[in-house]
Amino acid sequence: MQDIRLRIVTALLLTLSAFFSLAGAAFVFLWWITCSGKVSEIMRMRMILPVAGMLAFFSAVLSLTGGDGVSYFLRMMVIVLIGSWVYAEQRSGEFLHLGVWLLGKRTGFELGMLADMAMQTLHLMVRDFDTIRVAQNLKKAGPAKKTLVPAGLVLVTSALSRADHTAELMAVRGYRDGGSLCPRFFTTRGDIVRCLVALCILIITAIPVSEFFILYR
Amino acid sequence: MKITLDAVQIARDSWSLSASGTFTEGIHLISGDTGSGKTTLARVIAGLSLPTSGRIRRDGISHPMISFQFPEHHVTGSTVSEECSSWRVDPTMMLKQVSLSEKAALSPLCLSRGELKRLHLACVLSQDYDLLVLDEPFSSLDCREKERACTAISGRTRGITIIFTHEQAQFPRVDMLWEIAGGSLHCRGSLPGALRTWEHAPEIIRTLIRNGKIPANLSREDIREAACRT
Repeated sequence: MQDIRLRIVTALLLTLSAFFSLAGAAFVFLWWITCSGKVSEIMRMRMILPVAGMLAFFSAVLSLTGGDGVSYFLRMMVIVLIGSWVYAEQRSGEFLHLGVWLLGKRTGFELGMLADMAMQTLHLMVRDFDTIRVAQNLKKAGPAKKTLVPAGLVLVTSALSRADHTAELMAVRGYRDGGSLCPRFFTTRGDIVRCLVALCILIITAIPVSEFFILYR
Repeated sequence: MKITLDAVQIARDSWSLSASGTFTEGIHLISGDTGSGKTTLARVIAGLSLPTSGRIRRDGISHPMISFQFPEHHVTGSTVSEECSSWRVDPTMMLKQVSLSEKAALSPLCLSRGELKRLHLACVLSQDYDLLVLDEPFSSLDCREKERACTAISGRTRGITIIFTHEQAQFPRVDMLWEIAGGSLHCRGSLPGALRTWEHAPEIIRTLIRNGKIPANLSREDIREAACRT
């Protein structure tokens, strides 16, 4: 889905649908399989398994304390898949266009730029983390629990220092606030259809069918 | 002990790099422009990434190490002293060697990148590896520290050492010269003969060759000796 506006709306609709009920989560999962177009790419993301593990842990705790852990796990996993789809579809500079389109040249520009920079930092952090893990393994630095804190420190320190340098550079180059940008979006018919399907899923999930039809009981 | 690259091809989008050749024991220098694929090839040789096609054979290598360009990626200690210990070296001796004794209690991330690189290189070069891949070892170092690093690298007598660099000022004494040009890795051969075909040769070496004074090797002493030759 190339239009970030439709992508965000679709993600929001699907998240709500998955959150409402297990049936909604099943529909959203079907949407993810048939409409996302990124299934194999998302399944290759290394964060999926750890996140699934974490959700499984919380679901188990929920089940043990009397809650519906299975339903929680399935619904949250579907939401994670939708989040991963949004992440996989993201392109550099999109949030800037979205921000200006949504909130104008001052606040919108700043928020959009902030979001884009955050995404850029996230990508760099993922890349740095890979390198750090390799370096730690070669150094035989010990078990993950011992090396995770130093790795985190390096990542946070580098990200803060990079942000500091960017801010200084922008100030030196005369940036004060806001900026001019003509937002551009590329919308395809397929994007609109997939967004409408997501809307239908939310309607079906959120509105009780028995309110409209007399069902045999 | 050797590494053989057999028709290795690394491709990403429209960019590609092909490499074939054998790295035997000794010091190998691979030069190339920024963006030519030095880091990518370094990772492939060190076994951290797989090539798109081709084969890499590592014979007799059980203890490899790669030194990344940015030294902070290697940090695991919470103090400079602990960082030395994490490399299994005596902190007192090491910090004295790199003139950082007074910063022993600081976090390694409080050091400047040059200081951290100096410490990191000293720790790496104090170890005995079968394969040591150095990715841009001279970046962030001042002239004096580059000289010190070159001396330490030249002193390596065991294992395969491969240096990836675009450095143009200071080099260690090397056994084999390679370069990445036109999307391929080329072996220019052993020194001094390799200098004649070295496309990335620094200006001083080009001038010396033009004047018929071919240095025996790449170290400062070799270049000085050639320049002073009558």
